Amino acid sequence: MSEIESLKGQLDSLQTAALVAFAQAEDLSALQQLRVHYLGKKGALTEVLKGVGKLPPAERPVIGQYVNQTKAALTQALELSEAELAVKGKALRIEAERLDITLSGRKQAVGALHPVQQGLDEITAIFAQMGFAVAEGPEIEDEFHNFDALNIPPEHPARAMHDTFFLKDLHSDSGEPMLLRTHTSPVQIRTMKRFLAEHGEPPLAVVAPGRVYRCDYDVTHSPMFHQVEVFKVDRDVSMAHLKGVLQHFLSTYFEKEVGIRLRPHYFPFTEPSAEVDISCVFCAAKGCRICKGSGWIEVLGSGMIHPNVLRSVGIDGDEFSGFAFGLGVERLVMLKKGIPDLRLFFENDVRFLRRMGVSK
Amino acid sequence: MKIPFSWLKAYVPLTATPAALADDLVRLGHEVESVELPRAAVKGVLVGLITSKIAHPDADKLSLLKIDIGSAEPLAIVCGAANMGEGDKVPVATIGTSLPGGITIKKGAIRGETSCGMCCSEVELGLANESAGLLILPLDAPVGMEVGEYLALEEALFDLSITPNRGDCMSARGIARDLAADAALSFTDVGGKELLLDASIGAPQVVVSEHECPLYMARKIDGITVADSPQWMQSGLILAGMRPVNGVVDVLNYVMLTMGQPMHAFDANSLNGDIAVRSAVAEESFSALDGRVLKLHAGDLVVSDDHGVIALAGIMGSEATAVTDATTTIVLESAFFKPSRISETRRTYAMVSEASMRFERGVDPAMVSIAMQQATALLIELFGGVAGEVTVRGDADSINSGGRVVCSIARIESRLGVEIPVALDDTLVRMGFGIQRAGDSLAVTVPSFRHDVSIAEDLSEEYARIVGFDAIPSLLPPLATSAPAKPDSAIHDAVAGGFLQAVTYAFISAEEQRLFVADDGLDIILENPISDAMSVMRRSVWPGLLNAAKRNLNRQQPGVALVEQGRAYQRTATGHDESSVLAWLMTGEVVSDQWHSSARSADFFDLKGAVETWLSLRGLTGRFIADDTIQGLQPGQSAKILVGRAEAGRIGRIDVDIAASFDIDTPLFVAEINLDLLSDGKQAKFVPLQEFPAVERDLVFLFDKSNAAEAILNAVRSAGGKLLADARIFDLYQGKGVAAGKVSLGVRFSLQNAKRTLTQADSDAASTAIIAAMEKRFGAVLR
Ligand SMILES: [Zn+2]
Repeated sequence: MSEIESLKGQLDSLQTAALVAFAQAEDLSALQQLRVHYLGKKGALTEVLKGVGKLPPAERPVIGQYVNQTKAALTQALELSEAELAVKGKALRIEAERLDITLSGRKQAVGALHPVQQGLDEITAIFAQMGFAVAEGPEIEDEFHNFDALNIPPEHPARAMHDTFFLKDLHSDSGEPMLLRTHTSPVQIRTMKRFLAEHGEPPLAVVAPGRVYRCDYDVTHSPMFHQVEVFKVDRDVSMAHLKGVLQHFLSTYFEKEVGIRLRPHYFPFTEPSAEVDISCVFCAAKGCRICKGSGWIEVLGSGMIHPNVLRSVGIDGDEFSGFAFGLGVERLVMLKKGIPDLRLFFENDVRFLRRMGVSK
Repeated sequence: MKIPFSWLKAYVPLTATPAALADDLVRLGHEVESVELPRAAVKGVLVGLITSKIAHPDADKLSLLKIDIGSAEPLAIVCGAANMGEGDKVPVATIGTSLPGGITIKKGAIRGETSCGMCCSEVELGLANESAGLLILPLDAPVGMEVGEYLALEEALFDLSITPNRGDCMSARGIARDLAADAALSFTDVGGKELLLDASIGAPQVVVSEHECPLYMARKIDGITVADSPQWMQSGLILAGMRPVNGVVDVLNYVMLTMGQPMHAFDANSLNGDIAVRSAVAEESFSALDGRVLKLHAGDLVVSDDHGVIALAGIMGSEATAVTDATTTIVLESAFFKPSRISETRRTYAMVSEASMRFERGVDPAMVSIAMQQATALLIELFGGVAGEVTVRGDADSINSGGRVVCSIARIESRLGVEIPVALDDTLVRMGFGIQRAGDSLAVTVPSFRHDVSIAEDLSEEYARIVGFDAIPSLLPPLATSAPAKPDSAIHDAVAGGFLQAVTYAFISAEEQRLFVADDGLDIILENPISDAMSVMRRSVWPGLLNAAKRNLNRQQPGVALVEQGRAYQRTATGHDESSVLAWLMTGEVVSDQWHSSARSADFFDLKGAVETWLSLRGLTGRFIADDTIQGLQPGQSAKILVGRAEAGRIGRIDVDIAASFDIDTPLFVAEINLDLLSDGKQAKFVPLQEFPAVERDLVFLFDKSNAAEAILNAVRSAGGKLLADARIFDLYQGKGVAAGKVSLGVRFSLQNAKRTLTQADSDAASTAIIAAMEKRFGAVLR
């Protein structure tokens, strides 16, 4: 056998062995070792090339070309194997990183607004959108703002019905006993006085949320609760406007078109006065336990501001008129969210707060 | 106030159903609490005649009855009662009847014997709470008739809630008058019989020295025999919610309930000398009919004789002068007392009576005399006796007379938002008003019983209730476009940090107040608290939150994080103050055992972080100054919070003994910030983002433990020079390898420049400066 044939034979068997080895390589690092072994500076191919020097010069290009073919074949096979191993390796990695995605996620600490706060926010926002300015007032009040200015003189039966908390040895500048406000209506007086001092005369439209207190504590009464007072004073404000605002507010708050019914009633600070019912939101006004079969649920008291109240802040009742109403926040929230018991609001059970904190 | 339908029908020929009438009452402003239907409740119960009675073959205590109810075949009924026999008439509930107790009668078999109905007692008919056996009906009861009709059970009973301004409607007569006027039906007064008077019976001597009793009438009736009032009156009183007492008292109550005028009767023989209506003397004693003995206040309106007080006027009589079964001579009183005066006295002694409720709302002056006549007539008719002349002090016409309102029709229409046509005037006229229209002008005379009507707005209400609120259209007023105030987001920002908002009562116990505030006399105390636990206005929100935490931990919650926004109240040199505060509480687990983490309990820095975050959301920063003197907090874990120059809050761990008193044994952290002391935070302004990278370096030093991290970082910042962008403690270690009294702190700082990339030389220079500063300031050694 000639020298050249022998070299070609060596190259052929090297190629055969390498291709088998490449195909059998388990991973990329094994493949890398094979690359060094066959194609490295001191690798098997280089070893074979050492024999080329013994050939006559005329034959050298022939064998050179043969070596290049072998090298190309090996390189190509190597790249192929690398690609295959990369795909296989990724698949293995993916399998290794497979998760039990049914394990619970890492909880983020999420707080919640108290349902009464949510109610206050919602109610206030509806009126704010209608152009009512938001106002607040003190919880510790004097008799003048809580009663007298609202047309409730001392001997008035309504005054006794308010179950007022009085405060020991605390007096106003004019020496009146101080009390915890029994309703948010005193904000009417304070806001109107302040507004008139700044602007001279109406119009004004105000929504006043806040805490109020009554000396009454049982299953359906809390000694502290929340009210929102709403009033508007302008020229030619009428009961029709009162009905329009109530209808808009109640339908927006309950997120459905509710029917409203006004019943004549008596409040010292409004004349005429009306209690306001909504069509029962639980039974679509068909009659159920909650509406006592009537299809109506009482939600708030309202009326046209009594001229004596306007007079007490210096507004001429001949020129201006206004409507006012006060609503109990807890009651509206209970109706909207189906909360059965007033006491839940003040127990602050975190399970209740969390559940009611979920919006919608 | 409960009114039987029949009482209304005595005045007005009402034909409406009870339900329709209830709607009318509501429209007229008389709230209907409920409508009971006693007669309809026993519909299907018929008068039955027992035609045969034999013992049940298998049961000793049962009888087999054959009962004729007017149908072709007698009914076979098995009955367990013992008090009936052949020939008796009894109420029989037929198949399908629902009884007031809730049972519905079905055909059945009792011990093998068929029973086609049930014989009833008073209990089953809802007429009594107990009975000895079947209700045996009189022999003249027509067989087959509805028992409800035969017994004349009330068709309907209206429970009304009369508003305080409508004293005139505190009676069947008043309500009937309103209904009659509204429906244009005739109204007929009851009574008005001529009385035969005996002049020989002296008229009582009465002296009225009080102008707040503008009308007082008294009359003596001699020779009466007090007996029980008749059954029809007793059942009427019971329906109306009053207990029958004796004949005289029952008649007066009946007159009050039907006519609205409260009256009183004294036993004439127990009176001494003249009757006086006067103001009480201070400390004067009064033994009331309800058994209470009162020490009266000067100025209480009383009725007295020569020996002392015989009645708290308009509210309650005395025990000694009360009419009993033995009484033979009475003095009847009918009067008008000023409402405000009765209201005041009633409140002073917490003594509510049916009489005081009516006087307080204002009775009709015209009824004082009419009721006197009616009561006298009824008493003589029922119990015999002879009446004397009436003594009259004062004048009915002087009370509430001359009420007149003149106003513009346009004004009323503009207030109501609806027209008030002339046709409506007729209804008001039927209600007793006199009406004259001239162009736009309306002149109205007001009847004496409508003292609540005195201005145009009162008239507008009268028109509104006649026309009906439903007739008023619904209009949105022109809406102002005011810039809405920015809503306060304090609580919203606070719950964003994972806290649940609590709402606790603004009043706490005095003991709870003392936990966190010294007794400096500045507490605001309730005059009339619900209980000791709710008797002082809080000066800190913490006690309320502690109670909420206690309740939740008792309910097996592993951790609690609450925040509350509310007010704190205290006296000041010039009066009082309510400040708006935000308060946090944290205790127990902040992280629970999970597959990815192990449980961790809240510590000081959890809460400090929450407060810092809350402040930063408002563009504020707080400085936490260690303070061992905060009452109720554990020294070494408590601080005051400075925001700007204001000492705006406090934070710390609750003293373990205090925590233990709330049954809490986990570390408990609280914070409180006075919102009124916070300035407006900085508005966020755009700052160009840094283009060149920052370089970061870590240095670890040994410090004496007494050095505060805040002071160390401040020194790092000033030593680091202009390039220093940030510095923080990234590692804290004490223990093995670190000497006692020392702490190893790792400081990580970063340098940055807006114009160039920093070099190794920059960070070397900063490190050298910081190391030198740490050594010089704190004697710290680089590790
Ligand atoms: Zn319903």
